[in-house]
Amino acid sequence: MKAFSYSRPDSVRDAVAGVAADREAKFLAGGTNLVDLMRLGVERPDALIDVRHLLGHDIEPTADGGLLVGSGVANSDLAVDPRVRQAYPVLSQALLSGASGQLRNAATVGGNLLQRTRCVYFQDVTKPCNKRQPGSGCPAREGSHRDLGILGTSEACIATHPSDMAVALAAVDATVHLTGPGGERTVRLEQLYRLPGDDPSRDTTLEHAELITAVQLPPPSALYRSSRYRKVRDRASFAFAVGSIAAAMVIDDGLVREVRIAFGAVAPRPWRAHTAEDALRGQPADAADFAAAIAAELELAEPLRDNAFKVDLTRRMGAAVLTELAEAQQQGSGR
Amino acid sequence: MTSIPLTSPQGAPSDTSSAADGRIGENALRPDGTLKVTGEFAYASDLWMDEMVWGTTVRSPHPHARIVSIDIGPALATPGVYAVLTAEDVPGANAVGLEHEDQPVLAETVVRYKGEPVAIVAADHPEIARQAAKKVVVEYDVLEAVTDARAALDPASVQLRPSGNVVRHLKVRKGEELPTAAVVVSLDFEVGMQDQAFLGPESGLAVPAEDGGVDLYVATQWLHVDQRQVCSALGLPPEKVRLSLSGVGGAFGGREDLSMHVHACLLAMHTNKPVKMVYNREESFYGHVHRHPATMSYEFGAEPDGMLVYGRAEILFDGGAYASSTGAVVGNGGTLGLGPYRFPNVHIDCYGVYTNNPPCGAMRGFGCVQAAFAHEALMDALAERVGVSPAAIRKLNGVREGDVNITGQVIDSAAPCEELVQILLDMPLPAERSGADLLSLPGGVANSTHGEGVVRGVGYALTYKNVGFSEGFDDYSTARVRLQVIGGEAVASVHTAAAEVGQGLITVEQQICRTELGVGRVVVHPKNTQVGSGGSTSASRQTYVTGGAVKAACEAVRARVLAAAAQVCGHTADDLALDGGKVVARSGEVVLDLAELLGDAELFADEGVEETVEWRHRPTEAVDPETGQGNAHVQYAFSAHRAVVDVDVDLGLVKVVALDTAQDVGKAINPDAVLGQIQGGSTQGMGLALMEEIVVKDGHIMNPSFTDYLIPTILDTPPMLIKILEYADPHAPYGVRGVGEPPTISSGPAVAAAIRQATGKALRRVPIRPEHITGT
Ligand SMILES: Cc1cc2nc3c(=O)[nH]c(=O)nc-3n(C[C@H](O)[C@H](O)[C@H](O)COP(=O)(O)OP(=O)(O)OC[C@H]3O[C@@H](n4cnc5c(N)ncnc54)[C@H](O)[C@@H]3O)c2cc1C
Repeated sequence: MKAFSYSRPDSVRDAVAGVAADREAKFLAGGTNLVDLMRLGVERPDALIDVRHLLGHDIEPTADGGLLVGSGVANSDLAVDPRVRQAYPVLSQALLSGASGQLRNAATVGGNLLQRTRCVYFQDVTKPCNKRQPGSGCPAREGSHRDLGILGTSEACIATHPSDMAVALAAVDATVHLTGPGGERTVRLEQLYRLPGDDPSRDTTLEHAELITAVQLPPPSALYRSSRYRKVRDRASFAFAVGSIAAAMVIDDGLVREVRIAFGAVAPRPWRAHTAEDALRGQPADAADFAAAIAAELELAEPLRDNAFKVDLTRRMGAAVLTELAEAQQQGSGR
Repeated sequence: MTSIPLTSPQGAPSDTSSAADGRIGENALRPDGTLKVTGEFAYASDLWMDEMVWGTTVRSPHPHARIVSIDIGPALATPGVYAVLTAEDVPGANAVGLEHEDQPVLAETVVRYKGEPVAIVAADHPEIARQAAKKVVVEYDVLEAVTDARAALDPASVQLRPSGNVVRHLKVRKGEELPTAAVVVSLDFEVGMQDQAFLGPESGLAVPAEDGGVDLYVATQWLHVDQRQVCSALGLPPEKVRLSLSGVGGAFGGREDLSMHVHACLLAMHTNKPVKMVYNREESFYGHVHRHPATMSYEFGAEPDGMLVYGRAEILFDGGAYASSTGAVVGNGGTLGLGPYRFPNVHIDCYGVYTNNPPCGAMRGFGCVQAAFAHEALMDALAERVGVSPAAIRKLNGVREGDVNITGQVIDSAAPCEELVQILLDMPLPAERSGADLLSLPGGVANSTHGEGVVRGVGYALTYKNVGFSEGFDDYSTARVRLQVIGGEAVASVHTAAAEVGQGLITVEQQICRTELGVGRVVVHPKNTQVGSGGSTSASRQTYVTGGAVKAACEAVRARVLAAAAQVCGHTADDLALDGGKVVARSGEVVLDLAELLGDAELFADEGVEETVEWRHRPTEAVDPETGQGNAHVQYAFSAHRAVVDVDVDLGLVKVVALDTAQDVGKAINPDAVLGQIQGGSTQGMGLALMEEIVVKDGHIMNPSFTDYLIPTILDTPPMLIKILEYADPHAPYGVRGVGEPPTISSGPAVAAAIRQATGKALRRVPIRPEHITGT
């Protein structure tokens, strides 16, 4: 591991200033991803600015009835919050499907959003990787890519974003609060991430030294209440997704009134399926149409030799979860 | 009680003699059990000594390259670094290996796999050692790597050794050369590379000794084979290289070869300081051998009723860069590769080859695991073709006691194939899926499915495995047993070098001493090379072979004690026995107190009665190289599994609902420990069927971490109904039959069969992943 300095400033301002002053500095939250990557030599910060104690640890109601989740809230605390479980079940389910109990206790909301890809070439410093070392090439296209992306990828990079939580947040229209050297701003969760194009080195639209301070959830609604997360993985617990879906849907008079769909583990960011949503909105809530809508979104897919199965997997999972949401509402339970 | 010498490091195994009862056949408590559960047990990574320094390894980044130059200067100049050593510093033979000494301690002119040790560094802190290791400048000339076993077999491909790429080619030929049959089934298979996935990484501590030798504390499976190799590499005689077993955190075959042993000794002798080495997880994946991946082509011919006429197989094992135990794995794959069935005509070619992939060697099930996936799928295919059930085809063709097997050996003890299958048929099937509990569905806690596409399947497998070392190997163990008075009580102590790796051998040693010597307290001496070899803790052999040695040593001690008692009390020795700390007559009458007898200075010295016995099982013989015929094995162990699975055919997810098994263990010395072996072994076999695979691309391991190399969690692990049969093997001590490996062999094929039954898919490769089931 490269030698680094460690500091624990007293204020957010000092923390931001500290990172701003040093291009090689990084914020440290739970450390469950960053420290791993440092040990592998993938992340090589020369300074760690510990912010965990500075970040919000509370989940507070907002004026419009939504929730403001401090970025220091542990993944486990967010998952079990009764307001979250009731109003945004998809978020709670996504969190609980990720990692292990111990990891969720240590991991923060901010760190979860900014965890890095699990691509094996990215994690192995002896291999070329355009994300880690711009211009060095991408062996994944020809090599080991069974777990990598089918949507939003580029010639330069086919990595996926591994977070479960972010997929659910995309589906419930969350926004992210940031504080940086230039002041504060908010972005929609979807806009937090960028597609690789020919510069995969940056995962997000964040500027250097911008700190995630909170994630805001919109006011509760029938839509978000009627939401689900589903995840496919290679063992029954404690494994990253091979594919996942976050979905929310309300049906009125047999018609889809509103719908949100996001795919996980198939793209460099949580993939909001806007094409599918548009195709469904206002249409009859019918299982065949669900499958067709998801399939329409997947028209964009550019699968490779060993990850083509993700297309079918995502389509089937998507159709199943929408059907389930529709059935739950037709039974009037609206869980 | 044996005291540990003052020079021992902290973290050496301590006294584990607390439990005082439990004879053979009883569930004696494990002396190490409480310590392990409470976290107090010291594993090899806990070894500690003041003044010690830390060793680390510089490894090759290339699967195949010529070493042009090595510059240790910058590393050596790092403050805190004590030594940087390369091949030049190996004083003895720079060649080690289990069967062939073909592996350098440190690479000399070529590296043959990614991760091969090239240099070693000692520093006063592990991080400094790692930093310095990065400063060792090795210039490589990259060579073409052979990473495909099939290509390696082609004489036109790059030849990695002067002798060629073939480590061993075993032919098994029996009966007609070109038999014909009414029904023919043929299929190809592929098995991925499984890891032993032990939790305790490779670790040990080498302490330089005043006599110019070295003491090595290490987690291993076979102290004496390590000692032989360390001596040869250091150029020292055995009395100067003393090994002690430290706490072993799992082995499963992965500790049969050397890892850091010689490296730590070299650094210790060079720095004159104790040197500790502990691999991290990634290094561990490169630092031990794995289960051979295999490609297999099988064909079975049968009568219209399903009676087998012939079996043909070609099995190809990828041995990786060094031979390790590839030769013996080929031996098993060839001689046992058709499973426990009656074949009048046989034609097998089994190959193990060198490539530039990570070296492969021993792992639980040793050559039988791979073949079992093939022969069991063939049996199912045959059953389907002739229109009988999977159980019926196995009952029809299973070998029986007295049969001659495919290598011409008479199976001269129980071979209860039919009964094992029938037991499974008689076991209740799990209830139909209720649907309510998501945890009961494929996908576990991820809410993956609500049962939309879930189909149930049931599969069977019947397999067998040799116990002990085969093909003429001089397989023995040594036990030293002493009976003496300590604190007014007759106490036995037992000293063997047989490694306790978590399986419960020390408990078995205690149980045997209690049974044979009629005492309660049995001290298990720390395992080291101060006693003769115990052989390897592998091949399901220790309860049989070291158990046999301990039993024989106890008998020798008892004979002396009873002879003395006879002198004192007037009974003949034949009329006497030891029980409950007393000398008793056959009539039940208590004749003497054992402690008093042993305390009699006229009869016995202070240190009591001690006997050391070297014990061998019946010899085996080498097989004919052209026909594979011969009495290759000493004992066969049979097991059968039935797996019940729920498969989500839309998403490709599998939930194993039940994994039931029947196994003949000859005699359950410790029934709870037998159950533990069967539960663990069944789970490990299921892991290979469903998820466990080291993914290797162009010689590089793509998933060297427990985040990416998946092993089953408890949520993946089903309830198991387990039926144990005890048909004593008349040739084995107490009738025991090896227990540890069979469940690992039969469980995976049963799971694969169940998934095939549920999905109707061919599934010719394990692990079976979601994409194989969804078929895209
Ligand atoms: C074995 C294992 C299994 C896992 N399985 C899953 C899984 O199934 N699903 C899943 O979703 N995740 C999984 N994870 C990932 C886990 O969720 C993340 O590691 C965790 O959420 C990261 O949070 P952290 O607080 O520890 O982040 P850190 O490691 O502290 O930080 C991660 C990154 O975010 C930056 N950062 C942290 N906080 C802030 C902030 N407030 N503002 C700006 N930058 C910040 C850091 O500089 C760093 O670059 C797994 C992890 C492990 C180790």
